[in-house]
Amino acid sequence: MSINTTSRRWFAVAAAAALLTASCTAVDDEPEPAATQDDSTSEETGSNDETETETETDDSAADTGAATETDDATAGGEIDFAEGVTQEACPDAVNPDNGCIYLGVLSDLTEGPFAALAVPITDAQRAYWAQVNEDGGIGGFDVDIDTYTRDTKYQPAEHAAAYQQIEPNILALAQTLGTVNTESVLGDMDANDVVAVPASWWSGYSFQENDQGLIMEFGYSYCVESMVGLDWYAENHGEVTSVAAVGYPGDYGGDSAAGAQMWAEANGVSDVTVVPTGPNQVTGGQDAVVSAVLAAQPDVVILAVGPAEAGEIVGKLAGGGFTGRFLGSLPTWNPALLQSAAAPALTALYNHLSPIEQWDGTSEGNAAMKESLGGEEPVNAGYIIGWAMSYPMHALLEKAAGEGDLTRAGLRAAVDGLEVDFAGMAETITYGGDGADVAVSGLIVGTPSAEAPLGIETTDDFYQGSTFEGLDYTQACSASS
Amino acid sequence: MMAAFLTAVLAGIGDGAVYALIAVSFVLIYRATGVLNFAQPGLLILGTWVTSVLVVDRGLPFWVAVVLAVVAVAVVSMGVERVAIRPMIGRPVFSTALVTVGLFIVLLVLAFRLFAARARTIGDPWQLERWCLVEGEVTCAVSLYQHHAGKVAVTAVVLTVLGLWLGRSRIGLAMRATSLDQEAAMAQGINVGRMFSLSWALGGGLAALGGVLLAADGSVVQANDALFALVALPALILGGIDSFRGAVVGGIVMGLVSGVARVYQPVHAPWLGPNFENVAPYLVMILVLLVRPYGLFGTKEVQRV
Repeated sequence: MSINTTSRRWFAVAAAAALLTASCTAVDDEPEPAATQDDSTSEETGSNDETETETETDDSAADTGAATETDDATAGGEIDFAEGVTQEACPDAVNPDNGCIYLGVLSDLTEGPFAALAVPITDAQRAYWAQVNEDGGIGGFDVDIDTYTRDTKYQPAEHAAAYQQIEPNILALAQTLGTVNTESVLGDMDANDVVAVPASWWSGYSFQENDQGLIMEFGYSYCVESMVGLDWYAENHGEVTSVAAVGYPGDYGGDSAAGAQMWAEANGVSDVTVVPTGPNQVTGGQDAVVSAVLAAQPDVVILAVGPAEAGEIVGKLAGGGFTGRFLGSLPTWNPALLQSAAAPALTALYNHLSPIEQWDGTSEGNAAMKESLGGEEPVNAGYIIGWAMSYPMHALLEKAAGEGDLTRAGLRAAVDGLEVDFAGMAETITYGGDGADVAVSGLIVGTPSAEAPLGIETTDDFYQGSTFEGLDYTQACSASS
Repeated sequence: MMAAFLTAVLAGIGDGAVYALIAVSFVLIYRATGVLNFAQPGLLILGTWVTSVLVVDRGLPFWVAVVLAVVAVAVVSMGVERVAIRPMIGRPVFSTALVTVGLFIVLLVLAFRLFAARARTIGDPWQLERWCLVEGEVTCAVSLYQHHAGKVAVTAVVLTVLGLWLGRSRIGLAMRATSLDQEAAMAQGINVGRMFSLSWALGGGLAALGGVLLAADGSVVQANDALFALVALPALILGGIDSFRGAVVGGIVMGLVSGVARVYQPVHAPWLGPNFENVAPYLVMILVLLVRPYGLFGTKEVQRV
């Protein structure tokens, strides 16, 4: 081998290393794994610390807007803890004298289909817990969600592998993105007593037979969204005689379409057209959807797709003379749509549906969220989701700490009956029930507007329809896959 | 029903033109280096991003931005070849192909970084404008979106110019000689390494142009739309992995198969399930592989036994 060749190879290796370094994901470099407790351990805190922690925890609740009725356990002096909780401080701890609660995040952070939404979701969660830590932590512990954040690329196999890797070191999952991915580890979560907050809105999470009581869903499901959305449409735009549901098959579009069909059945509407589709990178375009909807000529189209597909569908249908309206599910919107050719059609014919306040919301939680970004707007509404979805885990940790049991079993037991107040960002949920006992249906309706933050102006707050209330909600609307 | 068929055919040809362009970008690199470059999706989305930045953020005219984006991605592609692929010469082709898979991941992650979780527009001249070819009773019965026509026109012009250049210029001749026999080409004084760089530059540039055309649909584009490039693989297999003509024919055929399946399968064969149009090209690909493993126009491999 010549010297020239050797040096070229070293150059190639160095360049490849540089490329890989540049490609590091949003996940922080992993610090040294924190020591975990094999056996349940009790921590006693000194009286001075007790007083300070109690005060700071209350501040934490105030600063994030979270409301909890749980007393601080450190005032009592003892908290049991085991896996995922250490007496040692978190890496780069805000409060070096506190112990550390490790929460896992299994998300789509680089190359999967929901990365654009998942990255700001995760950013918001980091900001939320950083705020909690700044305010003293929970029961004498800081919360770390960075160490065990893993990119699962929206693939069940990656999700399962990452779960197996982090499971011994976490107390719970602050985020598990995707229904199918979450289902891939639900059996293990059940065996390990790992509670999780999902970044997906499948109707099955409202039933313990599906989630074993481990999933702390927030906001309504896609299925409920369709039902309440159609109620809202009928009340605001006139009688509905025909509906089309366009979406990706499975827990997203499938659940949404099932909701539209259930609404139609309950309201005596027989003309329902279901149009399955896929993302543009798979289908190449949405012309088939446009043809199908033009042929059906429904009064209203429910969309459960991505932003690119929503823009193309609405724009082409409007250009093709379609005069019906569109209701878009939570992930269909992106502010960049207002710069696309579809903007006039979207502004005229589209309404965005969400279970969470939008950026123009005025709640206490919304104000805390905005403060975390110092007045800047996030890239999209994923940040709102990430902030709001942190309340259930916060409330759960506060309750468990208050009961002196920060073990996984303690957390799991604390889920039942836990009432979570989202500081006005979403409807209050009481966990532990089934069907209508746990499901919420408050709908935030938005209208595209170039003047509004993130391009959506709220036009209706927590609208409640009548169809869902009248349903016998005893099982999931659709299968998850 | 005839109107639906015509609309599907027109849309299918429009999509097929983009498949063809991307398939040709694969063929260019394959013929020169013997490597199926799985990094093409990354180059494709990079071209889309550069175009969007130049048009939306910098205010450049669309076509100027497209040319600059194609050149920029061609340079990146050349650099990638020099750094990551050239050292693999003499190694098994399989190893080099795996390197391109790694490059694909790196470029994709880079694209996600560049897009920064934002959807983008590219400001193409066609937007959602369309021509009504046949008026219906209430609305237009058969229409042609200008972006579909634009995709066909751009692909036709670019591939014609490329074909003429490869066929008649000295560099084109040298590239063809390299693709046929690298050692013989070196013996004739052809700088084979330079030909490799050139083929990667052309392949990357075409992928970038494919990305721009993909994004020209009146909506927004996101980083994960890069995966669209992989849909061109069935077209590549159908036409023959080393045939320019095959790539073009394969692309158009796959666009048509997919477009027609979208319209007719849900009506006549709903039992095949939703989104069958995405599967149809792969079924055609499998059929072709069974009957003509080297594709419609590919070189039949002869092995001495």
